[in-house]
Amino acid sequence: MGLFKFAQSRSLWMMHFCTGCGAVEMPPTMTSRFDMERFGIAPMATPRQADILLITGYLTVKTLKRVIRSYEQMPDPKYVIGFGSCTLNGGMYWDSYNTIKRLDLYLPVDIYINGCMPRPEAIIEAFVKLREIIAKGEANGWKKYKENIKWYKENQAKVFDVKKWSVIKWE
Amino acid sequence: MKTRYFEYFIGPQHPGVTGNMSYHLWARGDEIVKMEPSVGYLHRGFEKLMEQREWIKNVPMVPRICVPEPDVNEILYAMGVEELAGITPPERAQYIRVLVLEMARMAAYLFYFGGVAGALGLYTIPQWTIGDRDYILDRFEELTGGRIYHIYIQPGGVRRDIPEGFRERVLKLMDYLERRLKDYDRLMFYNAVVEKRTKGVGVIEKEYALQMGVTGPNLRASGYPADVRKDDPYLVYDRLEFDVPITGDGDIYSRMLQRRLEFEESIKIVRQVLESIPEGPIMVKLPHPLEWKVPQGDVYVKVESSKGEYGYYIVSDGGVKPYRIHVRGPSMPHCFQAAKEKIVGMRIADVPVMIFSLDICPPDIER
Amino acid sequence: MGIEGKIVEDIVKRFGDKVRAEVQRERRVKFYIDPINIKPLLYYLKEKGFIHLSSISCVDWIKENQFELVYHLWSYEDKVHLMVKTKISRENPEMETMIPVFPVAETYEREIYEMFGVSFPGNPNLKPLFLEDWDGPPPMRKDFDTRAYVREKYGMIDLTEILRQGMDKIKGVRDEDEIL
Repeated sequence: MGLFKFAQSRSLWMMHFCTGCGAVEMPPTMTSRFDMERFGIAPMATPRQADILLITGYLTVKTLKRVIRSYEQMPDPKYVIGFGSCTLNGGMYWDSYNTIKRLDLYLPVDIYINGCMPRPEAIIEAFVKLREIIAKGEANGWKKYKENIKWYKENQAKVFDVKKWSVIKWE
Repeated sequence: MKTRYFEYFIGPQHPGVTGNMSYHLWARGDEIVKMEPSVGYLHRGFEKLMEQREWIKNVPMVPRICVPEPDVNEILYAMGVEELAGITPPERAQYIRVLVLEMARMAAYLFYFGGVAGALGLYTIPQWTIGDRDYILDRFEELTGGRIYHIYIQPGGVRRDIPEGFRERVLKLMDYLERRLKDYDRLMFYNAVVEKRTKGVGVIEKEYALQMGVTGPNLRASGYPADVRKDDPYLVYDRLEFDVPITGDGDIYSRMLQRRLEFEESIKIVRQVLESIPEGPIMVKLPHPLEWKVPQGDVYVKVESSKGEYGYYIVSDGGVKPYRIHVRGPSMPHCFQAAKEKIVGMRIADVPVMIFSLDICPPDIER
Repeated sequence: MGIEGKIVEDIVKRFGDKVRAEVQRERRVKFYIDPINIKPLLYYLKEKGFIHLSSISCVDWIKENQFELVYHLWSYEDKVHLMVKTKISRENPEMETMIPVFPVAETYEREIYEMFGVSFPGNPNLKPLFLEDWDGPPPMRKDFDTRAYVREKYGMIDLTEILRQGMDKIKGVRDEDEIL
């Protein structure tokens, strides 16, 4: 079992979705100065072959619907990283009428990176930490989503029409 | 027999969009018949948020409006408030502001080259340009403390003075970038694949551009020499010597070449500024920031950003908070008029290249 | 007198006392006019070289019960920026569309319709632009309270409220241990 988890943590592919401000620090992380590909992490265009969903920054309601749809299309096991202070408590837009305040209520998050905006070295440190917790078997956000699906769907229903935008069946 | 159109959703989760917007294409075979952009994925309601904070508390909020080039928003806010309150910042601060703006313009142009080349499928160019852009961000980190969001220019002046040795390091960086431009010429502009795919494609005529609100390098690439730095001078641009190049064809190759020629002019401006910067204070003394009441009135200020004409309309009613701030971003007419009407008749593979070449930046369409 | 003075003289000679002009500084001129006469003025200005419509702004003067629309024009030949201002009533606000004069106005009017609720009869494309499935009033109006809306819909974490309750507890005013 140790070999299986070791192999799982060494080749993670990140889904290519620039959701907010933080996406401007992704090209420096992917190119040759900070080079995250030496950790085995590369961008991937479709959700069907990706493992990590990186939420870079704030989420408006219009993007949240598409993020939930993409997340439910990713096959298990999958991991979510919340990037920036806006996923923790709303950040600078705490009184905006169009952004969500806590990502934790709508999606299960495994690792948070704080800062506004985090440096590429911080992103790479988060990926290394994610590898460690996958190798130990503690990154179980995807199991929490399946077990508590009713609670997540109740929170999502306060913000948008869940029947139209969900892919999986929960009732 | 009825022809049927095939619908494509190029949505927000896609490597071929600039940032976070989506568009809906209807195609007959390989030829596009209609295009409908859809924005709003990044709408935070900035104009409403700025009305609920005091004048000084908006200074960290403002750079987040345009993500690839945040200094333009800081300088516009500072210029607008200074004009309303009747403050003149000192000379040394004006020269330092020009230095910061030109370095931000160069970083934005390098990001642009990476984007267009990535859409064409040539992946060496983003690796080079984003690596070189990082050297400019290192200088910004030394001067202001942050890589992307600087929060350095505020009403009254700039926050910190130039550190020791900064001038020599920036001059060395300018020499390095000038040498690299020759490599970029050989790789990008004398490249047979790029020439075949971009010459004669996506032409925007001069009359159309003038009528439809296209501004900035896109207008100059269509043949009209309009530049806010020369027409409506601000800061100390009327004392510096630089040219406004134009390439007249209006196609994608012209738009790329236009920005490469302006890159050289920016290097010239930075060298002149570092040579002639005067001594003196960097900031005017302001009243108590949380009780500062700006006098009543309304102003419109504008600058030349790397995407076009960027403007702010600020209204004050004499209180401690702004009454209304309206942000005019350059990408709204580019996306909803120029891209929407000129994409009709192109092939599917040319659509992302056209959108990247107009430099459409979704955060400043929807703030 | 400079170019700004010449422009003011020309407009005042043509439109008489329907328009009021003010030179703010060099390269900035303001015109105040009624909504009925604004379309002929914009046609005349476009003939005179003011071909670039930068933007249309809307300001909500709630105490006077009016909306103010400002048309920003720029001339590439004369290099002067004009602000043409007009005021409309706040109950059932409505303004004629300027698409026949400036085709770019279509998207600017669409945004003002969504954010303020001002309708532009004659504009064929007044669909929602930024907000999808929006269920509240037009958000940029001054009587829309964003903090109450956010508290109800998203469960906002108000850090100033937590701090104030903490400070009250330290000073001994409160003894319950509740946060929000």
